[in-house]
Amino acid sequence: MSILIDKATRVLVQGITGRTGRTQTKWMLNYGTNIVAGVTPGKGGEVVEGIPVFNTVEEAIAKTGAEASVFFIPPPAVKEAAIETIDAGIKLIVVVTEHIPVHDVMEIREYAGDSDAQIIGPTSPGVITVGQTKMGIMPGNMFTPGRIGVISRSGTLSYEISINLAMARLGQSTVVGIGADPVVFASVPELLRLFEKDKDTDLVVIIGEVGGIQEEKAAEFIDRWMTKPVVAYIAGLNAPEGKKMGHAGAIIQGDGRGTPQSKVAAFREVGVDVAKYPTDVVTLAQKHLNLNNK
Amino acid sequence: MQYAIAIYVMKLYEFEAIELFHAEDIPVPAYALASNPEEAMGKAVEIGMPVVIKAQVFTGGRYLAGGVRVAKSPDEVISVTRQILELSIGGLPVDRVIIVRKVEVAQEYYLGITVDGYYGAPVAILSLEGGVSINRIAQERPEVLVSKRISISKGFTSSDARRMCREAGLRDKDFTELSNLICSLYNVFRKNDALLAEINPLVRTVDGNYMAVDAKVEIDDSSMYRHKDLDINIQDHISNSLERKAREIGVSYVELDGDIAIIASGAGLAMASMDIIARKMRPANFLETGGGITADLLYKVMDLVLQKSGIRALFINIYGGINPIHEGAKGVVKYMQEHNITIPVVAKALGNHQEETWEIFEQHGVHVVKEVSTEKGVELLAHLLGEEA
Repeated sequence: MSILIDKATRVLVQGITGRTGRTQTKWMLNYGTNIVAGVTPGKGGEVVEGIPVFNTVEEAIAKTGAEASVFFIPPPAVKEAAIETIDAGIKLIVVVTEHIPVHDVMEIREYAGDSDAQIIGPTSPGVITVGQTKMGIMPGNMFTPGRIGVISRSGTLSYEISINLAMARLGQSTVVGIGADPVVFASVPELLRLFEKDKDTDLVVIIGEVGGIQEEKAAEFIDRWMTKPVVAYIAGLNAPEGKKMGHAGAIIQGDGRGTPQSKVAAFREVGVDVAKYPTDVVTLAQKHLNLNNK
Repeated sequence: MQYAIAIYVMKLYEFEAIELFHAEDIPVPAYALASNPEEAMGKAVEIGMPVVIKAQVFTGGRYLAGGVRVAKSPDEVISVTRQILELSIGGLPVDRVIIVRKVEVAQEYYLGITVDGYYGAPVAILSLEGGVSINRIAQERPEVLVSKRISISKGFTSSDARRMCREAGLRDKDFTELSNLICSLYNVFRKNDALLAEINPLVRTVDGNYMAVDAKVEIDDSSMYRHKDLDINIQDHISNSLERKAREIGVSYVELDGDIAIIASGAGLAMASMDIIARKMRPANFLETGGGITADLLYKVMDLVLQKSGIRALFINIYGGINPIHEGAKGVVKYMQEHNITIPVVAKALGNHQEETWEIFEQHGVHVVKEVSTEKGVELLAHLLGEEA
């Protein structure tokens, strides 16, 4: 099924009655997503694009068997909605909402840690199992079915690199945008683990960017656990030094981590080729896949 | 050193951070704010000599720039304050100082609470060595730093704090005051949605008391909607005038020193555009629209990125995912018509509504890149300028 979702996954849309929720529900239905329900508190009984709307997640699950949920909820309401959704037993939540307070993200993440719910985001473009289903805002016409898994910290760059891979007849299995907020729910290593196990994925592309230590942690994981080839691109090699989070930020990052140079070095050290520019990912992927076929 | 280009942090002035410390009973020396030498002198006399006079700017490097100085007499307060108010620190004029009672320092410690981004939890860091040289200590002897990740639902307990003190090497009788202080700093961090609350140096005075002689707090911009109680003007905390304007519009903008303007939907795409342009040309800015594109937003964004003088060309790189790019295109061409824009404008626009978007752009003289790579777009832009990509 590739990873996380397939065409049978019964999807719930939370915040379905908002402007973005409505528009994106239509695009997801067009793509083939099996949307079974929507939730907006106080709007139960409405119908959006033919989809019944419920007041609570619990009710939506009881009536429709929804099993995964995508959030188009305004930032101040996300924390409560996430706790409700985890409690109701949803196993996969994709949070598209941007500008959620970091403290709320930390609270949700800790709460989810005690359950078996997997959360992706925030500020995620979504998850797309190409040719089958998508939860999120990714434009379907940028993706082509195939055997490359993509993990991206950037939404729009995942579109760009996917369509360039497709032009070279390298389609994608699943593309996941994890977002690039200061704290995210799902890490690059967690998704690498899923792609490593996935029989429909031959190679993984990581699209990283400056800031944080996701790429450095990914390199550690790859070194220990990955048998499939991985190639990477890191955006922001020319970024000026940005917002420093005081001394404490520098201390927990450790000496020099978080810079584009440290990310490139960490990847190269474990044999991951790093593309200099986005479309170089295509050449690197071709190189690795040809080697594998020999 | 953290590199992050998104603007999501609001740094407070020291005097604002001190007020937040006050609210949690963190001991700080007597202080007052002043905006001219005479006012400073009056406040200094009330506080008692000697005093430290500190420039209020939210950039680092105040000490090196001469923005923090001691004065021992009323005359000295006047002359020192006058000199500090004439300074420009990190390109920012100094228009206020605080006058602080000078404390007798026995030891300088470091205490900070921040967000451990990868593990998604607050983390407290204590060091009995370091003070202002904490960065060097952290690199050379990380073992003297004690850090503890905090459960945000359980909070930071006094037993957590006491354990930290013990691990840092404090003797028993010292624990209570310092552990209370650590808990108070965590309260400042938590109640104000801070991404950083830091006391550096945390001073142990000769009579054995603890005192925060500096206060640094950075607040999560995304949380400001629930901190209306904080008497803080956000615009007052952004030094660059174009970056202030961007905050008003609701986009992320960072001014760079080149002459090729960039508008991109998504921070990663904006940075990739910068990387590719920087091969042979020089980007004028980072601009990320976020997911709220409308005709009106891109009209305002055009006005923002073209305000910088000497812009030779504009590169637009947008995707129709969450964004209705055909609407955005209308704002771009409206601006071009009304302001008679003659520099080359190259647009790469893909995704939902791409054909409609191309048509709007092409009808108004925007060079549309239909190929799917940013590299191709930058090649066209270079060609129009008669340069190599």
